[in-house]
Amino acid sequence: MKSLKVCFLISVLILSLSVTVFAARIEISSPGEQTIPLALTRLLPIGVGGAQPALAREFQEVLENDLEMSGLFEFVDPAAFLGDAERLGLSRTDIDFNQWRMLGSEALIKGGYSVSSGKVTIELRLYDVITQRLLTGRRYLGNSTDVRKIAHTFADQVLKSLTGEEGPFSTKIAYISNRTGHKELYLMDVDGYQPIRMTDHRSIVLNPDFSPTRKEVIFTSYKNGNPDLFRKEIYTGRESRVSLKPGLNIGGRYSPDGREIALTLSKDKNSELYLIGTDGTVHRRLTNHYGIDVDPTWSPNGQKIAFVSDRRGNPNIFIVNVHSLEVSRLTFEGKYNATPAWNPKDDRIAFARMDNGVFNVFTIREDGSDERQLTFGAGSKEHPRWSPDGRFLIYSHDLAGEKSIWIMRADGTGARRISAPGGNDIHPAWSVRW
Amino acid sequence: MQKLTITRLVVMLFALTLLASGCAKKPVAEQTTMTEQPAQVEVQQQQPAGVAEQSVTDTGAGSYDAAAAARAAENAATSGLQRIHFDFDQYVLTDAAKTILVNNAGLLRAAPAIKVLIEGHCDERGSDEYNLALGEKRALATKNYLVSLGVPAERLSVISYGEEMPLDGARTKEAWAKNRRADFKVKR
Repeated sequence: MKSLKVCFLISVLILSLSVTVFAARIEISSPGEQTIPLALTRLLPIGVGGAQPALAREFQEVLENDLEMSGLFEFVDPAAFLGDAERLGLSRTDIDFNQWRMLGSEALIKGGYSVSSGKVTIELRLYDVITQRLLTGRRYLGNSTDVRKIAHTFADQVLKSLTGEEGPFSTKIAYISNRTGHKELYLMDVDGYQPIRMTDHRSIVLNPDFSPTRKEVIFTSYKNGNPDLFRKEIYTGRESRVSLKPGLNIGGRYSPDGREIALTLSKDKNSELYLIGTDGTVHRRLTNHYGIDVDPTWSPNGQKIAFVSDRRGNPNIFIVNVHSLEVSRLTFEGKYNATPAWNPKDDRIAFARMDNGVFNVFTIREDGSDERQLTFGAGSKEHPRWSPDGRFLIYSHDLAGEKSIWIMRADGTGARRISAPGGNDIHPAWSVRW
Repeated sequence: MQKLTITRLVVMLFALTLLASGCAKKPVAEQTTMTEQPAQVEVQQQQPAGVAEQSVTDTGAGSYDAAAAARAAENAATSGLQRIHFDFDQYVLTDAAKTILVNNAGLLRAAPAIKVLIEGHCDERGSDEYNLALGEKRALATKNYLVSLGVPAERLSVISYGEEMPLDGARTKEAWAKNRRADFKVKR
């Protein structure tokens, strides 16, 4: 907890506001189709304080990993770099753009760092090599333990400069892990680093979701002998029960404006979807059917909720209009469709379909068209959740009985494991940008 | 001679009727044992009461001790309540489950002081949230059947653990069948 507590004293100085957008904006939903040749140079030490190669290396690894994950770049081989890579000059007039053009790079990242009494300063520039223009310049000041955070923040900025949409790399991922022997709530970076246990319920904790407005998570826990919905403030650790109706209080999902929570209650002896206030008072019942209704997920405009129901036999995804309560069926293929997650940026809904006992991740448009399978093969992949920019999906992947959190691009490419070995990690949720 | 043959015929006829009646009786006898099965269950339920009388003699009082009998019935219920199992993605009670619940209802009626928490469980296949709802439907179906058998509803509470507490962690059909269940936890 401590390391999280208001520790980011990173102040960002915008060195240049005249950021021109790189060439044509890149279509974010089709990574890999149009990659930018990028030269990512090593951070060089600035002035006094001396060289700290470990710091520079860590920064480089984090930034390169994020930019690689984005799928927007093809890296120019550092072995081919010429003299300019070793020169500290960061300003436009100091850089020999012809060298970089010769290597075929169209974008260039250069940076320097200095360390004094535990504080680190990292200064970075992203250039368009062709037009020789500065696309973004940033100076970050922080503790030397904040190097990863600074690298993630700059990666987000690079994506913003090139596509107009900020990256999600400086956000957090909440998930459930049983590595203490009990299922508890954890928090980690988007690349899986710095995992922190958030609860000590020694019971069963399930299915977290982030508030879009406050630094707060909701989740279900059996701590008090019933599956109640809890709220926890991330930085203070303050915790309280939001909904403790007899029976299920599960699958809580904040509305996009953060004012309401959709969840499943079974207080009337059957699982139904409800809207409750953040104080737990019931605002509205959304479904009325003797079947099972679970797993709500909000449309970006807060007008509709996709959910899972067995009202037509097998579990399938349905959509209910929050105002008219009109229900329509979304999925017709497959025998078991569950865990829907609505893309916060468009009309695609990700879900998991079970076929021969194995779940894989699919997406489908809100109108039921253009269904696509994103993952294949053995080992269930469940509980997809979108990044706040809609570029990536996280999910839990069951490999030979060990479940871990994975990340992939929205088109299913680039899948990689992010949570560390040592337990079963499930129910990932992606934070907004705070 | 004729007398002999007549007596022979009579004997044969007698034997035949005996045989015939014997044959006819057999299915009847089977049917009665069939219908008596629930009655046997009743006998089983009363067995704890017999144990209770023994414990009365242990106390040396010799007179009928109602408290001890109740305690014995509670012990019988605590140890005698059997879990039931369900088919995949189903919360309808199977005939085998109903037979067990008839027995469980008898134990519960005999021990009116105890309350029971019915836990609904699922196998690991399927989504976690859906299974939480399914587990609750299993627990409620179990409760409703016990109520129909005369167990007061206020003595029965339910909770669903979905797929969170498997009995058998193996990934086999046998393990999954074991894990799809309703368990009974006695609260005194």
